[in-house]
Amino acid sequence: MSTSSLRSLFSGLSLSTTTPLSSTACQRISSTLVRSPTAAAIALTPLQRRSFSFTSPAPAKADKSSKKKRKKGKGDEPDPRIQNLKVSNPRKVPAPLRFARNRALRHWTIHRAWLLFQRKEREREEKELARLYQSMHSACEELRQTSGPGTQDEGYLYRVAMEKKGVFKHHNFPIEYARPQVETPAREPWNHGWTR
Amino acid sequence: MSTCQRVARPIARSMRQDRVALSFARTFSRSAARKEEVTTTTTNTPPASQVPPPSSTAADVTKEAPASQPKLTPDTATQYWEEIRLFKKGTPPVGSRRRRVAMQTSENVPFEQMPYQCFQEARRVLQEDRKEKLQALSSEIAKVKRLEATPADQVPGGEAKKNMRLRSMKKWVEELKILADINDPIVKRKFEDGLGDMDKPIYRHLAESKWRGYPFRLITQRIEQLKIVPDVLPKFEPTVDVQMFFRQRKTTPGEIIDSRISEKPPSLKVQVFNPGERLVSVVVMDSDVPNAETDSFERRCHYLAANVPISPNSSSLPLSKVNKDTQLVVPWLPAFAQKGAPYHRMSIWILEQKPGQTLDLAKLKELYSGRDGFSLKSFKDKFTLSPVGFNIFRSVWDEGTADVMERWNLPGADVEFKHARVYSLKPEKKARGWEAKRQKPKYKSLWKYTKRIRGMPRR
Repeated sequence: MSTSSLRSLFSGLSLSTTTPLSSTACQRISSTLVRSPTAAAIALTPLQRRSFSFTSPAPAKADKSSKKKRKKGKGDEPDPRIQNLKVSNPRKVPAPLRFARNRALRHWTIHRAWLLFQRKEREREEKELARLYQSMHSACEELRQTSGPGTQDEGYLYRVAMEKKGVFKHHNFPIEYARPQVETPAREPWNHGWTR
Repeated sequence: MSTCQRVARPIARSMRQDRVALSFARTFSRSAARKEEVTTTTTNTPPASQVPPPSSTAADVTKEAPASQPKLTPDTATQYWEEIRLFKKGTPPVGSRRRRVAMQTSENVPFEQMPYQCFQEARRVLQEDRKEKLQALSSEIAKVKRLEATPADQVPGGEAKKNMRLRSMKKWVEELKILADINDPIVKRKFEDGLGDMDKPIYRHLAESKWRGYPFRLITQRIEQLKIVPDVLPKFEPTVDVQMFFRQRKTTPGEIIDSRISEKPPSLKVQVFNPGERLVSVVVMDSDVPNAETDSFERRCHYLAANVPISPNSSSLPLSKVNKDTQLVVPWLPAFAQKGAPYHRMSIWILEQKPGQTLDLAKLKELYSGRDGFSLKSFKDKFTLSPVGFNIFRSVWDEGTADVMERWNLPGADVEFKHARVYSLKPEKKARGWEAKRQKPKYKSLWKYTKRIRGMPRR
């Protein structure tokens, strides 16, 4: 690894820099590189990042930052691979709540109240739906038992009410909903002759 | 009154109480003398007069401290000597010393009055629900009474239907009793502290659900693994919690116990989860006594007591402390296993007697004082008992067993069991293979390579 090749590498890295890095800085970096490749990788990354975000970095500034990095050593930032893993695999189970006794009990109380509230809401909704269904059912039953307008016989009104005419028109329910959505395919999987 | 004010009211009320504003709020890192001052101020009602002068030495204060503090409570003990005394008394201090000091020096706002808005709203919701549940409970009880009062021929469905309805209604009543209290944080806290009154259904319910969590699964697994079920009883499902303590140490089910430790009988903690007092019999039996003559294993009774009262609140049952005249049938025989014998399963059984049934001790003594050949199933069937609780430990031969056997005059400490040698039934075969064929002097030049003959030990 020679200094000239490194220089060419750095000139390639610093995309937006107007002036190339000072030769002293390059030499210093090259010396670190020669000593340990891992330190060189760490020394490379800040420069790389800086060069993308800064419009006109002063060579002295770059010099200072590299100096800092070298002083701090390699333990200050976690491995980028680990960081990448953490970002791409967020943990599925949230971290446990660590509370003291009273706080935990208060949390539990609120949680129980919330569960209770949800249960009551659910039951109320179910009851309301059942009531609606029941009243519709009794209305239909009433229709079935009355003899219709004029001379129509018993059950006429019910039959008329049960007609599905016009329900599956355009802008109404799609015709697919006329069949129950089932888990297994039909015996005839696709009706090729069907048109709307 | 706005919501904010309403919520802040309890803390305001507690602030208004003319409680002593303690100047020693930061006592955690102070010296012993300072701590002493704190305890005296908190325990005595007129604080200003009793506070020792700041110049008093530590020795002074420790001398007068026991007099000024007659009560040792685990919640307020902050001194070393207090803690040591509490430990000796068997009621260890609660929490850390730091916490105890902090508790004494802080405003003691009761937990249910803590001024947190969401918490207070939650409590309101829960209390409303509790009120509803209590109403439902009282109406259900009234319904049960009404149904009980009506004669069976007026109830549609007759006697059978009436009984069935009564049963299901009573079950619902029990459920409602639990549901009324299940959301109470105070109940939860009390149960977690072990202060719950087991006569109340809610605490019994909580205790049972806790037991069903891990200990029940563990004990059922031990019953299965150690083959208790086909060996001792044809079928069995535990319904009460039995904990076993040797020398105050809790043992896990199936643990192998040193014979010197199991020389003294264990004490049991039998927690039942249904109300009322009942009489139980306690059996400790060994189901692995080797018998060389018949080449099999036999059973032996190590302990038998009957008519022991147990109730949800009195769960302690030390086997050494049962009444010798009215309860003890077969006294304790230490667990021992002879050398070379496989481990002995010492199972502890709690058998519930029928309500009102007391067993005849004289008859029991006549039947079972022989110890050998004890059958739990025949005992159970003879006296119509139902096995409810179970625990187990194992014993093997160890360095103390010989001494234990000598102390209890048990013969057989010098016996060692060994497996009888089983010879192969296959006929002998000539040695085969390339090496075996080249053992004759003709192949003397190859002897160097013909050492390894299949089926022969290496020379």
